[in-house]
Amino acid sequence: MKLPGYILISTLFRSFLLQASWSFERMQNLGVLYALSPALKYLYKGEDRKEAFQRHLTYFNTHPYMSAPVLGATLAQEEKRAAGQDVTFSVEDFKSMIMAPYAAIGDALFWGGVRPLAACIALFFAFKGSLLAPLIFLAFFNLPHLMMRFWGFMRGYFRGVSVIEVIQRRRLPDVAIRFKEATIILLGGLSAYSTFVVFNKQAVAPGWGLLALPIIYILIWLSRKGLSVLFLIFASVMLIITFFQVVT
Amino acid sequence: MTFADCLLASLVAVICGLDRMALCQFMISRPIVAGPLVGFFLGQPLLGLQVGMLTELLWLGRLPVGASIPPDDTQIAVGGTFLAAYAMSMWSYPEPVNIAVGLLVAIPLAKSGQLFDHMARRANDNLGRRVERFLQAGELGAVERGHLIGLGHFVVSALCTFVVVAGIGSLLCFALAPIVAPYLEPAGYWLLLVFPLIGAAMILRSIKINHSMTLFGASFVSALLILWLL
Repeated sequence: MKLPGYILISTLFRSFLLQASWSFERMQNLGVLYALSPALKYLYKGEDRKEAFQRHLTYFNTHPYMSAPVLGATLAQEEKRAAGQDVTFSVEDFKSMIMAPYAAIGDALFWGGVRPLAACIALFFAFKGSLLAPLIFLAFFNLPHLMMRFWGFMRGYFRGVSVIEVIQRRRLPDVAIRFKEATIILLGGLSAYSTFVVFNKQAVAPGWGLLALPIIYILIWLSRKGLSVLFLIFASVMLIITFFQVVT
Repeated sequence: MTFADCLLASLVAVICGLDRMALCQFMISRPIVAGPLVGFFLGQPLLGLQVGMLTELLWLGRLPVGASIPPDDTQIAVGGTFLAAYAMSMWSYPEPVNIAVGLLVAIPLAKSGQLFDHMARRANDNLGRRVERFLQAGELGAVERGHLIGLGHFVVSALCTFVVVAGIGSLLCFALAPIVAPYLEPAGYWLLLVFPLIGAAMILRSIKINHSMTLFGASFVSALLILWLL
């Protein structure tokens, strides 16, 4: 029994609410069941339906965007199971096998790679005073995000469990490292630009801005020693205030 | 600052707060978006942009992985913009002073966001157990109801954080701003440089790739020299 298009679309859009009832005990389990429930209701009747619901109530946690290929492949598995066909892995095994590696890939790619890169690009516009900055950030970030949601879901559904190979071929962890390298380079430029802007506003020769570099390295060292952002902010502000009180 | 302004700001705080974890995650919860958004509704989009850009880098490297709850930089941006706009409407201090006051009050108060978020997730633990009991009794509709109630917990969490940051923050601003502003005023924009530099340091600390310090240093020096000499 093939799932109709409207159920696929409904599952895809419901996956945007995957974490709405996130909990410490079972994390996204209720979210997965919420996303899959239209399909499960369509595929099963009576006791089978109840069993199917309980099957997906187990612990589940992955990166929210990477859940799309998992949900797509899960639907394909459920379709086969409902039709009485042999499945390579049980639905439960497939989900539990794939959630952790996909979580690691998604965290590195989206949280560690795309997000800082999009933020650095947008911050150049923000320091220039352009209100386009938030739009640029959203565009840069959401392009790969939505691609993964839609493409991943459809690939998962049409390729079933072999979506694992499809994702593997994309070498996403390598892409994440390239994004991180680009972020570091842009961050250097951004820090220089923000220093330059402030030195100009305070009418100080921008060459003195080179002093900001050792300050950043000292801040990294201090944070590695366990000092929190909150402490560093208040300590730096106090230092600046004291300096100006002494000078003026 | 009118009652309508407070309502609009709390609405933005809730919508952005939901985007942080529970709903869609389009990243409108990032300070660079949430700041200008609340600023727009308060009639100060550029003020919101400044608060957002100063806050953006600070906790960007903290990944929302597993059960960890990163500091609530969304409510810092929303609350910080609200407080900076409040300070601007109350006193005639220069803009960097108003922004610094807003952020210095909002940042510690937004720690409450982690507490409320934790409470929402704990409430969802109970919810999960309840849904499980309903399912065993054959009531399948409990899944959808339960899931949306979970969303409601995150709504309450975001709203409570905003009320703490904006409510207690306004009182603190009212009491402290006239005392601290004369000390902050001579420092001007130097105060605001603190935020991106600490933010850059935090990101460098969190990104673990080979030669990151060298890449960053080379990029910083070359960009500054180009800006200075051209």
